[in-house]
Amino acid sequence: MSILINKDTRVIIQGITGKQGQYHASKMLEYNVKVVGGVSPGKAGQKVFGIPVFDTVAQAKKHTRVDATMILVPPAGALMAALEAYASRIPLVVVITEHIPFHDAMIIRRMGLKEGIKVLGPNTIGAISPGESKIGVMPGFIYSKGTVGIISRSGTLTHEIASNMTYKGIGQSTCVCVGGDMCKNLNFIDILKMFRNDDQTESVVMIGEIGGAGEEIAAQYIKEYGYPKKVVAYIAGSRAPEEKKMGHAGAIISNGIGTAKSKLDTLEDAGVIVARKMDEIMENLL
Amino acid sequence: MKLYEFEGKSLFRKAGIPIPDGITVRKGDPELSALDKLCFPLAVKSQVLRGGRGKAGGIKFAETREDLTSCVNELFAMDIGGEKITKILIEEKLSIDSEFYAGITFEPRELAPLLIISDQGGVDIEQVAVSDPDKVIQYLIDPADPPKFFDLMNLVLKTGVTGKKMVQISKVLVALVHCYFKFNAITAEINPLVIDTDGAAIAADAKFDVDDSALYRLAEVRSFHRGKEDIENPLEQAATDAGVSYVSLGHGNIGLIAGGAGVGMATMDMVFEYGGEPVNFLDLGGSATPKKTADALKIVLSTPGVEGVFINVFGGINNCEEMAQGISDVIDELNPSQQITVKMRGHSQDEGWAILEAKNIPLIKFGTTEEGVKLLLDEMEKKGVKSRVNTH
Repeated sequence: MSILINKDTRVIIQGITGKQGQYHASKMLEYNVKVVGGVSPGKAGQKVFGIPVFDTVAQAKKHTRVDATMILVPPAGALMAALEAYASRIPLVVVITEHIPFHDAMIIRRMGLKEGIKVLGPNTIGAISPGESKIGVMPGFIYSKGTVGIISRSGTLTHEIASNMTYKGIGQSTCVCVGGDMCKNLNFIDILKMFRNDDQTESVVMIGEIGGAGEEIAAQYIKEYGYPKKVVAYIAGSRAPEEKKMGHAGAIISNGIGTAKSKLDTLEDAGVIVARKMDEIMENLL
Repeated sequence: MKLYEFEGKSLFRKAGIPIPDGITVRKGDPELSALDKLCFPLAVKSQVLRGGRGKAGGIKFAETREDLTSCVNELFAMDIGGEKITKILIEEKLSIDSEFYAGITFEPRELAPLLIISDQGGVDIEQVAVSDPDKVIQYLIDPADPPKFFDLMNLVLKTGVTGKKMVQISKVLVALVHCYFKFNAITAEINPLVIDTDGAAIAADAKFDVDDSALYRLAEVRSFHRGKEDIENPLEQAATDAGVSYVSLGHGNIGLIAGGAGVGMATMDMVFEYGGEPVNFLDLGGSATPKKTADALKIVLSTPGVEGVFINVFGGINNCEEMAQGISDVIDELNPSQQITVKMRGHSQDEGWAILEAKNIPLIKFGTTEEGVKLLLDEMEKKGVKSRVNTH
């Protein structure tokens, strides 16, 4: 069994009638994802590749069972889209949108915690359980089914590392991108806990980057409670200059906090296998 | 967007936080006539966006008009860590009774705003936190329910301050919290928050970093002018205009374009790892149309010293065909002499590969980033360009 999503997960897409929404709806259908509806205010009754469109999340939920939502709306609308999903008690909310105002992201987090809803993102490619389902914008065909769980802050590094594994015959159980923003929701530690109890997952790859403390918190958890599966970690940005935002809003070394070295040292101290080069990730999985 | 002190103070003043009387003068246009309203002695403060201004001698004091002229001239001839001084804030010098610290920043473990206050203001708060941790009082803010005046009074009382002083500081904190939320700040800091000899609380400095992603709804912040003199690297501005994220790394001869911040950083690390020296970091981001891709490539090609370019992208949220088209367009338009290699896969990869192969661009389809880096370094060497320059 995978984590977060599987072939039975019923998904809606908030923002389905936009260019991105339509494109990724079609890609999810190609991947046999159960996309049971879309939300776009004022467009109820329309269909996108046969998927019924509703005005609100509540209307979609009235019509069918919904296990998860993928938010693909412009940044200014993302906070309301998330709060709307919370109000309808959708158990898993995946916020793909990048460049959401930081203060909106803090409210998304605070209210998600308060309502007890699992939130992935913002600024994520989502999650994929290869061969089962995906909620996200990743190209499904470069991922393959197997036993390695991936947790990553970076979308394209997840593509890179999963595809390299796929070409070498190493499959994945679930690949989860926790997102590149400073203020995120599900984090390394939460996904590690899920992989811990997942039968399909035999080893875990953590792909971190400079900035923040998510990797250090995960390392402390592993050190304190032990971890029954092999964990390999890679941290991007060893050579990044300080005080510069490296593409992701959260990828910044500020006042000397969040360096790759601090993360690698803490992870190594917790018994995690640390890959200094990307190719070493795979060498440690073979 | 980082704000200059005088800009931050103008936001503070509107929120009801007292600031010293002062004026801002610009290099080449020093409007010293307005100075007549100010009373000596004056503080003459260089306006720069980076820290360490005080230690670098960027703040001076003038007792007389003659002093002032020489202070202004001296400062305009200086730079702070490479940042040229083009603006100076001239303020009435405060008569200080005591100095506080008040700041709101993002706490990376709790992922929520953290309000920090201390009665040890005017110095580096990180140092106080190490040397005298009891003097640093922290309060985690619930962004959905910010602290009220009474919460803040209770907090200030923990510093041992009482009476009128306590109320004055608490009032400033209410306004600081208000500013933090209203202007979508990432950090908002007053250091020092001066209590003057009349017992009034006055913000003697303002450090403000506003979230770029929220500027669309912050007309007041957008109105702060940024001219040529505010931009250190014109290529960074060109990148901002093109909608891509660019960081100059100083010197080197390898230009980089990556799809995604993570891949961008990893590519940069790997170029170093294999002996090359990258000159920049560039994250193409989403919505990579042919034009956006072409703009990014032109920026990298025009970076001084670039002799080779590695483009490492995915068709995820983007599409390989569109990105390949942008690369092909630049080759048609500029016929660049620099070696270009590409690693590309994902959505519409076959179409993208066909476009690049038609231009004879060395291409990695299924290999790793490391293989892509090595391919570029090898191709550059074949052309007689030294590509493996760092021997760490």
